[in-house]
Amino acid sequence: MDMLRICGLRKRFGDKEVLRGLDLTVPENSIFGFIGQNGAGKTTTMKSVLGLLRADGGEIFVNGERVVYGQTATNRYIGYLPDVPEFYSFMTAPEYLDFCGAISGMGKRETSKRRDELLELVGLREETHRVGGFSRGMKQRLGIAQALLGRPKLLICDEPTSALDPLGRKEILDILLAVREQTTVLFSTHILTDVERICTDVAFLHGGTVRVQGTLGEIKSRFRQDEYLLETDSEAHLTAITEAFPAVRRREGNQLILSVKNTPAFEVLGFVSAHRIPLVRWERVEPTLETMFMEVIES
Amino acid sequence: MKTLLAFLKKELTEQLRSGRVLFLGILFVLFGIMNPAVAKLTPWLMEQLADTLAESGMTVTEVNITAMDSWVQFFKNVPMALIAFVLLESSIFTKEYRSGTLILSLTKGLERYKVVAAKTAVLILLWSAGYWLCYAVTYAYNAYYWDNAIAKSLSFSAVVWWVFGLWVIAFTVLFSTLCTANTGVLVGTGGVVLASTVVAMVPKVSKFLPTLLTDGNSLIYGQKSPEDYTAALVITGVTSVAALTVSIVRFNKKQL
Repeated sequence: MDMLRICGLRKRFGDKEVLRGLDLTVPENSIFGFIGQNGAGKTTTMKSVLGLLRADGGEIFVNGERVVYGQTATNRYIGYLPDVPEFYSFMTAPEYLDFCGAISGMGKRETSKRRDELLELVGLREETHRVGGFSRGMKQRLGIAQALLGRPKLLICDEPTSALDPLGRKEILDILLAVREQTTVLFSTHILTDVERICTDVAFLHGGTVRVQGTLGEIKSRFRQDEYLLETDSEAHLTAITEAFPAVRRREGNQLILSVKNTPAFEVLGFVSAHRIPLVRWERVEPTLETMFMEVIES
Repeated sequence: MKTLLAFLKKELTEQLRSGRVLFLGILFVLFGIMNPAVAKLTPWLMEQLADTLAESGMTVTEVNITAMDSWVQFFKNVPMALIAFVLLESSIFTKEYRSGTLILSLTKGLERYKVVAAKTAVLILLWSAGYWLCYAVTYAYNAYYWDNAIAKSLSFSAVVWWVFGLWVIAFTVLFSTLCTANTGVLVGTGGVVLASTVVAMVPKVSKFLPTLLTDGNSLIYGQKSPEDYTAALVITGVTSVAALTVSIVRFNKKQL
């Protein structure tokens, strides 16, 4: 089942049309990477899902229920971590989680049990200071704890790692991986290595619509262009190959890229074997998210 | 109900830990002490000024101070306490808009009207506690030095002024849901009070306006009777309820 379905979402701010009929489907129990440049409309999309922004057109369904702007009942399925989460600075972390439990109607005993579990998970168990003195990373971790408090079916994180140092990023990504068993995670980012590390599904947002969407494996195979990389140990050998097969491309170092569309791989291998050219490397080129993203943006 | 109480508890904790409760407590007690103190010091002040006054041809005879002078001071000082209160609390909504702290609460399923209800309740509670503390301090000093019985309709005059404060709070809440910055809240609330004051200069309509409720002096001197305040009280009540209703409707649709 789809945890989140967005159909034809439109939103404009003044004369700037940010979303132009965006479609998105987030399957249950996925870790969904929502990728786009700054200003592409990631936050706008997420805020519309939470009913915090009034969309100009389109429909959003969370767990099969339609999202309404303003008093948004579907938020009971959602845990939300904004890009820069702000808490009441006069509270301590446990006090804030107790407050969150109370306003979402959770029982006292359940709240305190869940509070202790989550503070343990995000590593704030021993923290006794008020939130006002927290670092960015600590706030982000408390943000995840509050988002997970009500055992949401969908966890929405808006650029959870963008403002953090490498260690802080790793901590957040580890937590997101750890909660995958319990919930579906949708997180927006422009840090592609984060996506590659933890995501099962991805969508590229560009020009106000989702250009490509699917599981990471599907998308990679769609972008795979049956290219091979060949590396030898000397310049002379490279020249010999390029002269025999003019369609191959040179890369930095002693590397060549050949596409099977115009250069049959086995003929190249035959040539290599016939001329006894020592091979350092011969591999199939896997598309990286970066190359795929660039391709999407440039198309 | 439980979720409303939880948000109310958060508001009260915030007021306490930010020191606002302490500040308001000191402020209202000081105003309460000032009223009898100024009255008590008047004869001494006059004496000090006697020479200067004599030069301009005025003779100071014996100044007779009663509880009335202290109550007149009370009605003169309470507006300042209310202004201080509104200045201090005008950011009760707007600072949450600015910091984005409400977003997390609302996305947890907290109904929006409960935010308005809890914040309004805290404002009413603080205003009531402060105002009646100020009244009690003045009353106690007056009873000790003079006799409060001299003032006519004293309790009624105090109650209507308190109601005026509630009316101002209703508009503070209304403008807090209409504006995003607390300057807007102050300008809006101040504008409404000013408009009521200006319109009240027309004698025929003055008895219908909330500003009439601030005229405690006419009551304690017996120039007006409590019945004269009925129309103004009804209108104050109706406009307060209307302001709060609009606040809730408006807040339900507010983009945060």
